[in-house]
Amino acid sequence: MSARYDLCVVGGGIHGCTVALFAARGGMTVVLVERGSLCREASGVNAGTLTMQMTRVALIPYALEAHAMWASAATWLGHDVGVVVCDGLSLAFTQAEAELLSYRAGKRREAGAPIDLVDAKAARLVEPGLGPGVMLAGHCKIDGFANAYLTGLAYRRALIEAGVTILEETAATAVQRVQGCFEVDTTGAPVKAARLVIAGGVWIESMLGWLGVTVPIKVLVNQLAVTERQRPVMRTVIGIASGLLSLKQYPHGTTVIGGGWQARGDRERGGYELLPDRLVGNVRLACHAIPALKEARLARAWAGLEAETRDALPAVGPVPGVPDAYVCGSVHSGYTSGPYLARLLAERILGREPAMPLFPIDRLLDPFERAA
Amino acid sequence: MQETDTSIELVLDGQPIRVSAHGSVAGALLEAGVAWLRSSPRAHGPRGAFCFMGVCQECAIVIDGRRQQACLVTPRAGMTIERGGVR
Amino acid sequence: MTFPQRFDLIVLGAGPAGGRAALTAAAAGLTVILIDEQSAAGGQVWRKPRAERVPARTDGQHGEGLRAALDASDVTLALGRRVWSVTEGFRVDSLGPEGSMSCVADHLIVATGAHERVIPFPGWTMPGVMGLAAATILLKSESRLPGKRVVVAGRGPLMAQVAAGILAKGGRVVAVVDQMRLTGWLGALPALATQPRLLAQGGGWMGRVLASRTPWLFNHRVVEARGADRVSEIVVTSASGDRRALSCDALVIGDGLVPGTEVPRLLSARMWFDRLHGGWIPELTADFETSVPGLFCVGDGAGIRGALQAGTSGELAALAVARQLGRKTEPARLARLRRAFARASCFSDAVAAMLSGQTADVARIGPDTIVCRCEDVSRSEIDAAMAEGIRDINQIKHVTRCGMGPCQGRMCGDTVQELVALGSRRSREEVGAWTGRPPLRPVPLGDLVGSFDYGDIPVPEPAPL
Ligand SMILES: Cc1cc2nc3c(=O)[nH]c(=O)nc-3n(C[C@H](O)[C@H](O)[C@H](O)COP(=O)(O)OP(=O)(O)OC[C@H]3O[C@@H](n4cnc5c(N)ncnc54)[C@H](O)[C@@H]3O)c2cc1C
Ligand code: FES
Repeated sequence: MSARYDLCVVGGGIHGCTVALFAARGGMTVVLVERGSLCREASGVNAGTLTMQMTRVALIPYALEAHAMWASAATWLGHDVGVVVCDGLSLAFTQAEAELLSYRAGKRREAGAPIDLVDAKAARLVEPGLGPGVMLAGHCKIDGFANAYLTGLAYRRALIEAGVTILEETAATAVQRVQGCFEVDTTGAPVKAARLVIAGGVWIESMLGWLGVTVPIKVLVNQLAVTERQRPVMRTVIGIASGLLSLKQYPHGTTVIGGGWQARGDRERGGYELLPDRLVGNVRLACHAIPALKEARLARAWAGLEAETRDALPAVGPVPGVPDAYVCGSVHSGYTSGPYLARLLAERILGREPAMPLFPIDRLLDPFERAA
Repeated sequence: MQETDTSIELVLDGQPIRVSAHGSVAGALLEAGVAWLRSSPRAHGPRGAFCFMGVCQECAIVIDGRRQQACLVTPRAGMTIERGGVR
Repeated sequence: MTFPQRFDLIVLGAGPAGGRAALTAAAAGLTVILIDEQSAAGGQVWRKPRAERVPARTDGQHGEGLRAALDASDVTLALGRRVWSVTEGFRVDSLGPEGSMSCVADHLIVATGAHERVIPFPGWTMPGVMGLAAATILLKSESRLPGKRVVVAGRGPLMAQVAAGILAKGGRVVAVVDQMRLTGWLGALPALATQPRLLAQGGGWMGRVLASRTPWLFNHRVVEARGADRVSEIVVTSASGDRRALSCDALVIGDGLVPGTEVPRLLSARMWFDRLHGGWIPELTADFETSVPGLFCVGDGAGIRGALQAGTSGELAALAVARQLGRKTEPARLARLRRAFARASCFSDAVAAMLSGQTADVARIGPDTIVCRCEDVSRSEIDAAMAEGIRDINQIKHVTRCGMGPCQGRMCGDTVQELVALGSRRSREEVGAWTGRPPLRPVPLGDLVGSFDYGDIPVPEPAPL
């Protein structure tokens, strides 16, 4: 039979890839099992925003560390994902939005995000492309974006250099624990490993089921759109107080419009249909913020799946009752924070004390199961 | 063939140019000897209308201030056309 | 956004297939809307000529007939409108001079035709190089020549039509550069003879070209187009490798057509790869219904078969819709249409076969040749991605940006899929196709948003803090 690895990671998104990378660099033999290609689901199709102003308050300290990681990706990852570090603005156009912004920015500030509230004039100095009607803006100098669709290639190269065995186009189908070792059934040959990390994005619910653990995971179907290339019309990352807009122009001239408007989709079919009214709504917000976008044409829209736990906080830690099994995922704004959280988990797996606490899933087990 | 050929004047990159008024802007310019419409955004290669049916997007230039496909727009007197493409 | 208007049937595309479908359904008493981006019905093949009263040309007569019949019918015509979204149910959203419009119907007939297939070669991006279908549009609906000295190249009967059209308008054809051997044409004759009228038409074109002493270079192909800001010279080669340069100011070239299947792909209809009929097409019943109930695909978008069968398929689909809506249809009429469709296949399959065999041409594409025109992606960049072990067609797009430009992968998609199949030694079925996504065509953001009040935007609930 095949070799026994120190660690098998199931799911090759940002979480799975990062755990695999740092575990391998820490000296473990690692196999990564991915149903499709690396970072082709949420981690390759997301908006690439690296922002504090959409991050959950509890994750701000992690997101700050993660932002620093992204900004220095060239050193630890070694390959380009097109990271641009720039200012970010979260806008309020109405009184209600201004109140929401003041409250939310205040909370995030308390958690360590350097967000200042500024007036329209100051905001326009930061972003000359802004349209009229801004009442208040949250300004954060720690913001930016990456080219999410380059994530897969960058990680692929880094993982190969770190000696990770990558099994792409190979889906895991079940896991057994045989004599203190995990046997992972796949659509290819079975894989054996001493430790297991479940990092299957929105599919971790059924993967945890293989281990007899029930944690409901909600599926968000986030819509995104991109314009064709256009002259430079903005230079910051733009959002709105409610969080339902994210906007930035890439160096090659296209602008990605997102913010979490929901499309139709599910775990089986992916994000399969975009709803015209919601696309128009999202694009209206974008054009209201940066009017020059109206000159461009919409080139493409798509949708990706994001996982959310009951309390919308991450599932990163050991799997209760199953020694040597771990889960890593369901991180809100997980593209931003994922690398840091996944590196913390890798530390734990390597037997070191992580620099910040993990997010164990015991809190999410249904009460009946917890009692048992 | 009975064709009433009204010739009109367009403004191409700031210069007046006479074309015949029928068909599409891309066709009218081609007939007037103008094949080059834009540079490609990455390699900056010369490009002109390629499919004339609205598919290839090679003819997307700024017409009357808006990015439009020259093969789908009918020429009108005084129309301003800016070639060159993005940046 | 205006309230969606409801119809029994929405027809997308007003060419021979969609036009016939709409007329048939309206005659059966259904409420029908026919939507097309062009400002006149007729599609690409029956484009409205510059002056409608052109002396008897069969094609034009068909177009004229269709336009007159539509004007006299109860079909709601929505011309000059760009459809950008089609969703379940079916809801169709379009933009036109009067702003945005949405309509809904339980039945949708998609007749969006096909687009040009040109296999890349050095210089194919040069101004003055254009598709064969593009040239027919210039000649027919704009009554214009592609250039003063034109080389016509590629494969199939469209070359003869274009070359004859150029000569008829008093233009000069430098040469016809034909990938096929003369024996290839002769071998197809028996099958082509099953449609005597079409054969006579094609033979007439070819005869006129040959009679003009225009060189017809059988078994030759274009290997390069050269020029500064416009093509000034092309290089052709014979099968035995003899090269020569031809001076010209336009090159008109085509290797067949690719079915436009964006709508069935958007709606997740099951597709299959049919090389003979142009590539990926939807799985269809005998009534041209896809795997999505109520969604029909007809004409070239259901597989390249030409105008004759396009009309028949449109009529059959419309009759099926009428039947599903409880209208009576004559069995004899159905039988007659099905027979006509089957009979015409002999001819159209023979033409389709002439346009096949491109795998070798794709394999031959040089490393520096641009494959994706929008993003200037060369073959070597695609090969480099594959050399890193990337095989997934969508991932290839991600790492090279190939297919990410405004043509949305229409011009390069088929070539890239073929290259990936060749490079990874897999079938086209295994390689698959890029995911279909809206908008169906690029739409200006300004038109999409229209005028609006910020307060009316239906912004969803904020995410948890
Ligand atoms: C449209 C969209 C926009 C977003 N925008 C942002 C943003 O701007 N900024 C931000 O910080 N975050 C953003 N997010 C969130 C972020 O993308 C995700 O939190 C993050 O990428 C999740 O990573 P993951 O590794 O957990 O999941 P994924 O990337 O989904 O990875 C899971 C992997 O598991 C694989 N898998 C599934 N089943 C199996 C199986 N049986 N066997 C083997 N492999 C399997 C999948 O193929 C997949 O590759 C966005 C999300 C979406 C969907
Ligand atoms: S020439 Fe192709 S879109 Fe106009």
